[in-house]
Amino acid sequence: MKRLAGQRPTSITHFFIYVLAFLLLWEWLRPIPTVSNTGHIDVFIWFAFFSSALIYLRIPIKFIVPCLFLGMLYGLNYIFSRESFFSREGGLETFRLFMSESIYNISLIYMWDLASLTNFFRTLLLFLLLALICYLLYFWIFHTRKIFFFLLSTIIYITVLDTFTAIDASMAIIRIVVIGFFMMTLLHMLKVQEEEKAIKRIKGTYISTAWMYTLIFMILIATSIGYAAPKFDPQWDDPVPTFQRYVLGEGHGSGSVNRVGYGENDELLGGGFIQDHSTVFFAVAEEAAYWRGDSKHEYTGRGWIGEPRLVESESSYVENAIDYYMYRNSVHVEEREVLITMADGVGFNHLFYPGQLTDVDRSLLSFEPIGSSEDNDLPFTFLTDVNGGKISADDNTIVFKEYGLTYDYPKFSLNQLRDSSEDDPDSIRDLYLQLPEDLPERVSNLAEEITSDYDNRYDQVIAVEQYFSRNGYEYRTTDVPTPVEGQDYVDQFLFETQYGYCDNYSTAMAVLLRAVDIPTRWVKGFTAGEELEEVGEGHRYEVKNSNAHSWVEVYFPDVGWVPFEPTQGFTNNVEFYEEEEETVTDIESSEEDRDEQETPEREDLMPLWEEENEDFEPGAASGSGRNTKSGIEWLTTKNVIISIVVLLMVMIFYQKQNRIQNRYFLMKYRILGKDEKFLSAYDRLLWILKNEGLPRGEGETLREYATRVDRVLNSMSMAKLTKTYERMYYGGKEFNGEWEKQRKDWEELVKALNP
Amino acid sequence: MRSRRNSSVVEPQINSMIENVEKVVVGKRKEIELSFIALLSGGHVLLEDVPGVGKTMLVRAIAKSLGAEFKRIQFTPDLLPSDVTGVSVFNQKTMEFQFRPGPIMANVVLADEINRTSPKTQAALLEALEEGSVTTDGETRELQEPFFVMATQNPIEYGGTYPLPEAQLDRFLFKFKIGYPSKQEELEVLNRVEKGHPIAELEAVISLKDLIQMQKKVVNIYVDETVKRYIINLVNGTRQHHAVYLGASPRASIALMKAAQAYAFMQDRDFVVPDDVKTLAPYALQHRVLLNSDAKLSEMTNERIIKDVIDHVPIPVGNETAK
Repeated sequence: MKRLAGQRPTSITHFFIYVLAFLLLWEWLRPIPTVSNTGHIDVFIWFAFFSSALIYLRIPIKFIVPCLFLGMLYGLNYIFSRESFFSREGGLETFRLFMSESIYNISLIYMWDLASLTNFFRTLLLFLLLALICYLLYFWIFHTRKIFFFLLSTIIYITVLDTFTAIDASMAIIRIVVIGFFMMTLLHMLKVQEEEKAIKRIKGTYISTAWMYTLIFMILIATSIGYAAPKFDPQWDDPVPTFQRYVLGEGHGSGSVNRVGYGENDELLGGGFIQDHSTVFFAVAEEAAYWRGDSKHEYTGRGWIGEPRLVESESSYVENAIDYYMYRNSVHVEEREVLITMADGVGFNHLFYPGQLTDVDRSLLSFEPIGSSEDNDLPFTFLTDVNGGKISADDNTIVFKEYGLTYDYPKFSLNQLRDSSEDDPDSIRDLYLQLPEDLPERVSNLAEEITSDYDNRYDQVIAVEQYFSRNGYEYRTTDVPTPVEGQDYVDQFLFETQYGYCDNYSTAMAVLLRAVDIPTRWVKGFTAGEELEEVGEGHRYEVKNSNAHSWVEVYFPDVGWVPFEPTQGFTNNVEFYEEEEETVTDIESSEEDRDEQETPEREDLMPLWEEENEDFEPGAASGSGRNTKSGIEWLTTKNVIISIVVLLMVMIFYQKQNRIQNRYFLMKYRILGKDEKFLSAYDRLLWILKNEGLPRGEGETLREYATRVDRVLNSMSMAKLTKTYERMYYGGKEFNGEWEKQRKDWEELVKALNP
Repeated sequence: MRSRRNSSVVEPQINSMIENVEKVVVGKRKEIELSFIALLSGGHVLLEDVPGVGKTMLVRAIAKSLGAEFKRIQFTPDLLPSDVTGVSVFNQKTMEFQFRPGPIMANVVLADEINRTSPKTQAALLEALEEGSVTTDGETRELQEPFFVMATQNPIEYGGTYPLPEAQLDRFLFKFKIGYPSKQEELEVLNRVEKGHPIAELEAVISLKDLIQMQKKVVNIYVDETVKRYIINLVNGTRQHHAVYLGASPRASIALMKAAQAYAFMQDRDFVVPDDVKTLAPYALQHRVLLNSDAKLSEMTNERIIKDVIDHVPIPVGNETAK
């Protein structure tokens, strides 16, 4: 260190790096006014600039301290005093204030009463901190020549702020990346040059033009590609509510009762609830999905009501006799099965099912009459509410205990959703665009505002879905107020409370979408639940009362009903994919299948079915860039994660190859090392040194080389080892426990190469 | 060779001798060490320098430290070989020729301004250097043991000189310069001679017997084959250098090896390392190469050639050279 301290680093490269580091420091200060109530941030920035300039100029400590003190006083004066610093009152007054405040606050610190420190003193402390950080930066750059830690912490700081506070760090992160790139590469250049200087290849450090051009070129390219490249919207939910959910527990409130769970009555929403973790049912399924129970279509301003239109579903559900349609045939589906077993003491008169229910396996069905534990074999019929999708037994004295379902699990094509027409059939419009007469104007205005930037239904829906998380809405299950008399439930959530749970989010989304003429319905059921274990190819899930949930389904004329998840911290369990090619044959054949079994109800619900399909086919045949699964399936999360991991490992390995190699040799000689191996160990050391960029010169003797290596690595070991080596190699001496004695030196050197 | 403070000489007797000589010769540690290396390895030294820089003092101090007989031959153009070797005179009492030994019959001889004398006389001296004996009147007489000659010559640009031929130069182990002292050293010189010359007070540190003992030890210093190869590579390097007309002879290899042995001995080491060779190579080799005419025109010097060779001949290490 002494050797370094002796040099006065005045090269222009150092200066650049220091300026860049200062810019990074600026990035730290920038968001402070937003996250705390600190004002006058410019004063702090100027002070930081002032102190870094003083430190850079290497002004002796006896001058630098008073200078910084004066600077601090000036800053304090500027912030706290109305008088000019240079007037008699101003400067002196500030100084007096400084003295008294310091004494007062230091006594507070002794009493550990940190909360009552005065603003004046806090400001002073911040100034001090800034000065120290400036020195720290100087030290990092000029002495240790390591700045990565600072860069990393800056990035973490900014990303954390961006995630958890209202700060939008999109530009800041670009600036940091550019500054960071410059700084790291310049520092690296400096290091390389210092090493070359140490082996006397060059005389001094300088800014290599080739290096600079390459650097600027690379950074420009990287930044502009990064900036211009299309970016996916956040693939994960806002982490804040998710964390909160894990910390506080997830929840749902149905009805106005204060216990979480699945209820039938949704007329009055609102109010907080307490968690209930009792099990509702277990499900064995291939993959997790939301369990749909019912949906409601009429919003009253206080809650949801449904108007069931019941259809008798034969004597039972038989193969492919679908009464309640969710998706059109053009949607890519996968047939799956699930077995649901109710927990003891729990039973529902209706079914819970994921996706599009296609069949109920009668052989697996068991039920019991309410109030009796005996199994009952009463014949009953399934009733399907074709409006709400609730499938129940016509005999309301029984509850289902166990049932096996076959369902279609959908994958929605984003292209198809975006290209979907917006000609909703009247039957849909009648039911699913309803809004209360007295819905406040500002709700529809907000809806217009959110969606105005988008030209297709899907993007509008997504805009609304993400509106809440982007605007700081909070997930909260307690202290959620019930709307007062005359107040709209959605209006209250959107404009007053801005916090709530799934009912708030889903209702608000449904209402907002309806306000811009997008047919929507409010769905309730359970989230996927907790995965307990693997069973065969599937998993066993446990669904609890606390999994009760509500979400939204949006109607797309070409697609059907697509679920969306506005609630923060929850993930939509439906898959969407970006398609590249159309698989025409698949769809055609499945369409034929379906067409044969068309039912009146279906026509009722989907009156434009035929027509739409005709429209659909030519477009598909012309190959206008629609779906195939081949490309998409390959790009599963798992594969992507594996590739990223592999790529990272390759990168790490490449980066660390020398280190890994050296580790290997360390191990090897630790285990196999003995006297006879001394010569080979030394030769290996020479090899490693050469590999690490410290080669022995052509006519350089071992002693000269050892001196140089020891100087570069700041050690004494090489000289010691060399002396022994000379004795062995040139002196033809016998071995006498040399290896044991010098193993430490050998290891120290190898380790010093990879600090 | 390093400066005094971190001199590598640790052999106690040599060290005390060097310190003894240093009482007289200020700031010439390197040159003193070189002289002792030559002394230990039985070689001789050629000093090329201007008058008055302390050549004589150096030799006299060495002689005194050894308690050895010291003679000085001042070479002039009219000096005859017999003035060097000695002459037989007719003793009328015994009616026999009696040999009267010349100044060469001493342990330590200073041959001053050797290039001022005629080649004939030079040859007489140089025969003594190489053979360790002189022949007069058909009779070969052994010189004393130990025998150490320090010859000086004026820089050859001076007028009235007979430059030593290549073959003669080859007989000197080292050729080096003493050079002017620094101002600080010169001040020290003045201070020392202010009240009488310190040479007068110089006493012998070791005996000639000790010296001969040491010379025997030096011969037994181990030289590994790798180091020998290195020496050969160096000498070969001078022969192959593009600026060289005539490279160093095998005698140079021998000289270098012996010098390295002595140097290793002085560092109290019983084997030679390439560093010894590398350190001594410039002094042992630069007077043994002849530049070609191109090199002379392009201001190439012997020093630069030797440095070039040293810098480029690889040091034998590990697997690079088969052991």
